[in-house]
Amino acid sequence: MTTTTKMIGQAIKRREDPKLITGQGQFLDDVKLTGMLHAVVVRSPYAHATIKGIDASKALALPGVVAVFTGEDMSDINPLPCAWAAGKVDNNLNTPRALAVGKAMHVGDGVALVVAEDRYIARDAADLVEVDYEPLAVVVDAKKATEPGAPQLHENAPSNIVMDWECGDREKTDAAIAAAEVTVREQIVNQRLIPTPMETRGSVARYEPATGEFTVWMTSQAPHVMRLLLAAFVFGIPETSVRCISPNIGGGFGQKIFVYADMAFTMWAARKLGRPVKFVEDRAENYQSSTHGRDHITDVEIAGTRDGRITGLRIDTLANLGGYLSTIAPGIPTTLYGRITTGVYKIPAAHCRVRGVYTNTAMVDAYRGAGRPEASYLIERMVDRFAAEIGMDPAEVRRRNFIPPEDFPYSNGMGLLPYDSGNYGPALDRALQIVGYDALRAEQAEARKQGRYLGIGLSSYVEICGVAPSAWIGLPGEGWGAGLWESANVRVHLTGKVVVTTGSLPHGQGLETTFAQIVADELGVPYDDVVVEWGDTSGTPFGFGTYGSRSLAVGGTAIVKTVAKVREKAKLLAAHMLEARVEDIVWEDGKAFVKGSPDQVKTLGDIALQAAVAYSLPEGMEPSLDETTYYDPPNCTFPFGTHVAVVDIDADTGAVSLRRYVAVDDVGTVINPLIVDGQLHGGIAQGVAQALTEGAIYDDDGQLVTGSLLEYAVPKASLFPQFETDRTVTRSPVNPLGVKGAGEAGTIASAQAVMNAVIDALQPFGVKHLQMPATSERVWNAMHGGTRGARS
Amino acid sequence: MQIDGEDLLDAPIDCVWQALNDPAVLARCVPGVTALVPTGPDAYDAEIKLAIGPLKGTFKGTVRITEQVPPEAMTLTVDGAAPMGGVNAAGRLALETQGTGTLVRWQAEPKLRGTLATVGARLIGPVSKQQTTAFLKAIEAEARQLASSRR
Repeated sequence: MTTTTKMIGQAIKRREDPKLITGQGQFLDDVKLTGMLHAVVVRSPYAHATIKGIDASKALALPGVVAVFTGEDMSDINPLPCAWAAGKVDNNLNTPRALAVGKAMHVGDGVALVVAEDRYIARDAADLVEVDYEPLAVVVDAKKATEPGAPQLHENAPSNIVMDWECGDREKTDAAIAAAEVTVREQIVNQRLIPTPMETRGSVARYEPATGEFTVWMTSQAPHVMRLLLAAFVFGIPETSVRCISPNIGGGFGQKIFVYADMAFTMWAARKLGRPVKFVEDRAENYQSSTHGRDHITDVEIAGTRDGRITGLRIDTLANLGGYLSTIAPGIPTTLYGRITTGVYKIPAAHCRVRGVYTNTAMVDAYRGAGRPEASYLIERMVDRFAAEIGMDPAEVRRRNFIPPEDFPYSNGMGLLPYDSGNYGPALDRALQIVGYDALRAEQAEARKQGRYLGIGLSSYVEICGVAPSAWIGLPGEGWGAGLWESANVRVHLTGKVVVTTGSLPHGQGLETTFAQIVADELGVPYDDVVVEWGDTSGTPFGFGTYGSRSLAVGGTAIVKTVAKVREKAKLLAAHMLEARVEDIVWEDGKAFVKGSPDQVKTLGDIALQAAVAYSLPEGMEPSLDETTYYDPPNCTFPFGTHVAVVDIDADTGAVSLRRYVAVDDVGTVINPLIVDGQLHGGIAQGVAQALTEGAIYDDDGQLVTGSLLEYAVPKASLFPQFETDRTVTRSPVNPLGVKGAGEAGTIASAQAVMNAVIDALQPFGVKHLQMPATSERVWNAMHGGTRGARS
Repeated sequence: MQIDGEDLLDAPIDCVWQALNDPAVLARCVPGVTALVPTGPDAYDAEIKLAIGPLKGTFKGTVRITEQVPPEAMTLTVDGAAPMGGVNAAGRLALETQGTGTLVRWQAEPKLRGTLATVGARLIGPVSKQQTTAFLKAIEAEARQLASSRR
């Protein structure tokens, strides 16, 4: 490929795919080391129990078993840290240890570790470990957990409250709601979801007794952060003695951001036994003990005028955070949820209170969208409720309350950095035009006369991408207490080939391709000459990893800035080589020449060679074309758009079928439309699945009823129509590329589009709200029992 | 989850009652029992081989008989654990003469844990019904024998 065609904006296929789809990828379970042992965890079958004793004698007697460890054995290392407490409030922190000590807090909590010569022996031996449990009272529901008489899970957390946090203006909001012409109240549940990456999680740890160094392979979206947390917080050893490597990752969706027990216990056991130790969870373990997402119960009121102006929004959310706190659990329902609950609307008075709650369930942390899907679902459902209440078309209510384009940068009064840029009307208009809104409304009216139920649902969303600015997120106000910048290194080899290393990394989203496209344009070199490296803490500069749709807006910008440094140095050296002034050097297509003399060129390869051999460099210039940047952006980015879902409901069975799905998104500049569409498709599928099929269910005893792929309803392809995607482009002023981010937008926008459509279809039955997922049973009950089924 | 059912046994109520309270009879009648060792009045340590769909295993646990109202009612509480998970169930049996036979109404609320709670949950209903019916069929045979030996 030549660079005369711009690479940015090209829909080229992902360069990583041939490897990944032909079984040539190197995933965690492909790591095989000499002398490696295999670990299997004995997990609590009780949701809440005292561990009275552990008898491992039978397990130890099984040939091939090397050791059985308990939580007490590992008491020389610290509990896993919670790295993001909610800002400005007390947080009653309780985090898990490598293995539970004394008490199991949820089904699947790790109680003992069996280490054996192979995985099968370890698995069999785990069944032979006899644990004496004393079952304790259990609570799984966030609301019940806060009520008097509920079992108390942690001594430092009265009423099981983790934290009580708020944002916005309480007094002004109370006044606005008290004075409103119209108020609508609802209890909205955002059900618990299980992220379900195709590849489950795991760790392989190796310890070198001679040097005291660990190497840990991990399914992590943030290996540098893991190194920091494991070294400094869990083991109390220097960061220099831990190397973390993320190999290929088969999807993460947030579940692979966090520090997990298996990272700690494989390291601990490898050091103890002097042999490498591997742990890979099976699907049931992933479901029981890796993190879940969402799980909010919210009482919400929206207030407004009869002519469709929203005047107030009051939110009170209980966020179920599980039996312990995962790495960034309190930050998700606060900073990434409460602060964006006003959505795309100019709401003069809003207040959001969030209480995090402990329950006897798996930990809840970021899951694709992380807080923002919960926020956009809430506001978009309530805008529809309000529209229905005043009898106005939901599209019109949205239009009347959109933040107008002239108000950007816009502060929403909820403590967020200003929305960078936006123009919400055109995306809504475009979506309505594509779907044929007026014709559909006419069809709907006609269908109702014939006893057919068709629904149209809108979702106008805004989200927070490129989560970074250290000056904001690092302030005590947000509780994060660290930066969130990103790094890049670009070096040009002697032959002119370019190697880019990023502190971010791909976990399935094609960053090798996207980043190479950017470098090809910015440096003017062939796309195929750019190699992108990532994922190894000893091979890449420190970086914060991949989440919050930040890899492109933050990591990509770090690369752009680094390439600029390389280009400037190359020009300086070219000037020296061509015996000209640098001001007269033109850089074009990866070549330098003196203005007016395009025949005499120095290619990037010529310059790189000169820089490397270094026998003739300008005075004071260092050898080598090799530059690094640590980039901290001034703001987040705020992608937006409107999605429209059209559903048909079977009057006999209540089954919902998704007839059409239109998505008009504005993610700023698009580097690779194919990848952006791919990200949106996957994201939309996950959001639609939340609306129609998915939901993690615990019974009252804390047993995870949806404990495998048989019971947990991950969507099938047959659920979806062809998605109709289109875009508007509003460049982000925050970064030179003008990009916003696309990794989570689909999920953030879609659940409410579908639910608004379902509830719109059920309007003739007097249904005002329905909790997700809209299974045929729930819909049928709503059609036949009015609110009885609707509120369940 | 609540499961219940009723079975009509062709044996007089006092014989059914006697069979139900005899450890030796119970050991013969409970499907899959490989050991039933009395540990006190109306309390036993039990070992039961059981298959619930794809899940097969040997449950070790306890059986207790409480709330006896001869010959009309009793509560059978079973607590067992196997590698695939555990079950705790209190089953209430109500006996009533019907003609020359005995109608047994039963209800139980099994609480499952571990893999059983997920993979087994959808199967436990039918399996419990089948096992209970098999158990009562065997009790019926024992009770009929008791009845004929009395004559």
